[in-house]
Amino acid sequence: MPDFARKLLVTGCIAVAGAAGLAFAQGDFRTVTVDEREEPGEFQFVRLAYSGNRYAQAGYRGEAWRTDWPEAEHHFLKGINRLTTVDAADQGRVLIPLDSNIYDYPWIYAVEVGYWYLNVQEAARLRDYLLRGGFLMVDDFHGTFEWAAFKASMDRVFPDRPIVDIPEDDEAFHVLYDLDQRIQIPSRMYIYSGVTYERDGYTPYWRGIYDDEGRLMVAINHNMDIGDAWEHADWPDYPENMTALAYRFGVNYLIYAMTH
Amino acid sequence: MFEFLFKYSRQEFARSELVFTAEWPPWMLAILAVVAAGGITYILVRRFRTASIPQLLVVWVLQLAMVAVVLVVLLQPALKTEQLKPGENTIALVVDKSESMAYGDSTSRFDRAIAALGDVMSGDTTGVTAQRYTLSGSESRTESFADETPDGAVTSIANSLVGIIDGARAQSLAAVILASDGIDTTGGLSAEELAEIAAFGVPVHTIGIGRDRVPEDLELAQVIAPQRALPDSTVATRVAIRHDREGEARVRVYDGDNLLATEAVTLLANATTTTARIEIDLRDAGYHQLQFSVDGIDTEPELRNNERSVLVRVEQQQFNVLYFEGEPRWEYKFLRRALDPEGDIRLATLLRVSPNKFYRQGLESADELEEGFPATRDELFAYDALIIGSVEAASLTSEQLEIVREFVSERGGSLLMLAGPNGLGNGGWGQSAIADLLPARLPSSGVDTFARVKSNVRLTIQGADAEMLRLAETPAQNVEAWRQLPEIADYQALGSLKPAAVSLLDVVTDSGSQPLLVTQPFGRGHVYILATGGTWRWQMSMPLEDQSHETFWKQFMRALVSSAPEGVSLAADAGHGESGIRLRAEFRDDAFRPMDDISVSAVISHEDGESFTVALPPSPDAAGVFIADVSLGASGSWFFEAIAERNGEVAHVARASAYSESGQSEYFNLRRNAALLRRLSDATGGRYFEPEDMSELPDLLRYSSVGITEQILRPVWDAPIVFVFLLSLKFGEWLLRRRWRTI
Repeated sequence: MPDFARKLLVTGCIAVAGAAGLAFAQGDFRTVTVDEREEPGEFQFVRLAYSGNRYAQAGYRGEAWRTDWPEAEHHFLKGINRLTTVDAADQGRVLIPLDSNIYDYPWIYAVEVGYWYLNVQEAARLRDYLLRGGFLMVDDFHGTFEWAAFKASMDRVFPDRPIVDIPEDDEAFHVLYDLDQRIQIPSRMYIYSGVTYERDGYTPYWRGIYDDEGRLMVAINHNMDIGDAWEHADWPDYPENMTALAYRFGVNYLIYAMTH
Repeated sequence: MFEFLFKYSRQEFARSELVFTAEWPPWMLAILAVVAAGGITYILVRRFRTASIPQLLVVWVLQLAMVAVVLVVLLQPALKTEQLKPGENTIALVVDKSESMAYGDSTSRFDRAIAALGDVMSGDTTGVTAQRYTLSGSESRTESFADETPDGAVTSIANSLVGIIDGARAQSLAAVILASDGIDTTGGLSAEELAEIAAFGVPVHTIGIGRDRVPEDLELAQVIAPQRALPDSTVATRVAIRHDREGEARVRVYDGDNLLATEAVTLLANATTTTARIEIDLRDAGYHQLQFSVDGIDTEPELRNNERSVLVRVEQQQFNVLYFEGEPRWEYKFLRRALDPEGDIRLATLLRVSPNKFYRQGLESADELEEGFPATRDELFAYDALIIGSVEAASLTSEQLEIVREFVSERGGSLLMLAGPNGLGNGGWGQSAIADLLPARLPSSGVDTFARVKSNVRLTIQGADAEMLRLAETPAQNVEAWRQLPEIADYQALGSLKPAAVSLLDVVTDSGSQPLLVTQPFGRGHVYILATGGTWRWQMSMPLEDQSHETFWKQFMRALVSSAPEGVSLAADAGHGESGIRLRAEFRDDAFRPMDDISVSAVISHEDGESFTVALPPSPDAAGVFIADVSLGASGSWFFEAIAERNGEVAHVARASAYSESGQSEYFNLRRNAALLRRLSDATGGRYFEPEDMSELPDLLRYSSVGITEQILRPVWDAPIVFVFLLSLKFGEWLLRRRWRTI
């Protein structure tokens, strides 16, 4: 076999093995949701494994939903068990929007939603889930471009419901902690750049979508990165006060979702 | 034959005493007996050689028997009989002249009753004077039954008989003969009334007129409906149809001219009363007179007993439920969402969100539950029901646990215990101070009995009858609706149920079914255990438009609060006598302690405006309770206000209402009540007779021991049986001697 051909074969084998490994890893990833008879806790952190939009293919290989996984929920769940009486499972779960098991977990988290894409079927499923009583927390998307991408899919979920700023006196900000300060929670890049914002997302917004009874269904954390603050809770360089604040927002959203 | 041999009938012997009328001293009889026995023995001993010893013994016995019979005859036996003294006694002939006696086939019951009494008097009742009475609401003397007609609107047998007997006692009343269908419209004869009649010592003989079964008649025997209901609510009513044949019937319910419901009822072949449940939607606030009617059959003699009316007051009420939860969880969220925040049940919640913080929702005021779980009776008793979730028993003080006990036993509130990792057995409630309230013997807290395993729920037989568990219209649909529900998220093992506990729902687990929803009464209240915190899956797993989860919790909550009595209440209970109402007012303070420093009166108003006031005296049986029986004159809607006054000032007012069907009761209960007449006769020493068989009644009257009586001695020594016996003895001896050749 010519040397060139041998090199080509070896390279090909490595590539195939790598692709197979990646595929295997992804498959294993999703089998976390395999039905188990005994549920590990009342609250299980469910991360929404959405399909990426066309921009997600470049930066996240179409899997922007994996951002901060699994350290973010790992740390956050520890915090929930330490700070609240919620019986939270130690490990999170990952579900795709069309997974029928999603109805068993009335609280889901979606990250980097500036790169998500919900088709009509997925949007209908999410709408049904939320109207039955589910709760969605979205986080870690920045600037006008990502907002527009997020809203494009969100409008398919609720074409008739406006996205509004969550009022200061909303119980979501007071149910356990009184969160009166609106501080932009930065990503870990803040450690290197000293800048709290990303892209043109200079101002943080706490927005939401409400149901007909005035209950918050979707908590939208725009121009901030609560997930990073959870993920890097054990990183000495990440500001401890930001992590603490991110915990508090997360805990309040969770308690709110479990009480309203 | 008996009378030929013994001279008198068996009845004569039964009612008489056997006495000896000879005035011989006993010692003379003894000497005669000894001499006779000695003489016979001496003669037989002398003949020792002519016969064997057994033969001599037989002859000896026969001769002694003959001597004994002769001696008895010499004593002059006689029957001593007591009988009414001619010309000195009266008997009361009583005919029921109420309207129900007008029924009959070819002859009315009334005419049959008169004929039956005529038959009695046509017998040998020599020397007894008959006085004639009619009976309905009270007694009335009459010279001739022929002048009477059956037009009495009510029948009060006890009241009338007491009047008759009491009034005729001076004329030496020997007996009462009552001819009636036994239909007493005042609610029958109580033990007290029977005792009062029996105390006169006059036997009441009864003649049952009419038929026990009337297959050609359907009757709406009873309608049970709540006196109060909430606007836009569904009211469950129950009707009882009396019948003597199987078939189909149709019940209709009207509110004025509006047809509210129609229900087909299958009349069972082996029953005389069939009940049916009818649900009625009531929308508007106010008083609703509901008319129930069962469609008649062609041959019905009386259609007026096919209808009944009840009065339901529809008004907004506010119930309060306290939910104490130890951890945020989905059941908490979805239970709150299931209840309409603007509805009649307010759910105040106290949720432990962190070890140091409680979160309150559904509050009426900012200071409600500010100090945590209520620490005083007043505070807790303001709620109608209490829910305790996944929280340890140790989170409450012993004083608070005692208040919880009093909340159920004295306040009459409902307690619901929910499952959870810190609830029921896990939470130590099985060893707590209120463990005896609970309908199950919970395992100890050392055993984890809580399993987060999805499981199916099934209705039990008792649960299928529980209105709060109705998710569909018909029983079969309801069972199927429960079968179709998604799995619950978790369940908790309970341990064995207590004797008074009932399981309404079961959970199907890998190890079989086990109780899921159990209940038992405790004191004035009820205790429930729902051994899951996972009904929320019904909401999340079923289509958005499905209301099963909401319906379950709304109905369950309604059942919890509706069984809790109010501190101030008034009940108007119909059925106490003809057009009679029993008013029962209860007055308790905020801590539900009976008020004993008040005086209570009731203002009673008819729909036409007529109004009067009665006093409600305190009940000797229960503190804080005031009771009075009130007779209402006219039919229609009646409204009652019980007013409690303290030191001359109105302290509390309780209201109630009822529909009275005055003058209608004779149209109901067309079937003869022979059992009542038998009870009456048995209690007074009389006898019950069918009109076709009254042959013994004249003798019963003549030989009554009640009244002015005389003794009669009738000799029986000359009865043919005596001489037959003597001849038999002598003839027997002669035959034996011939056989033995000793003559």
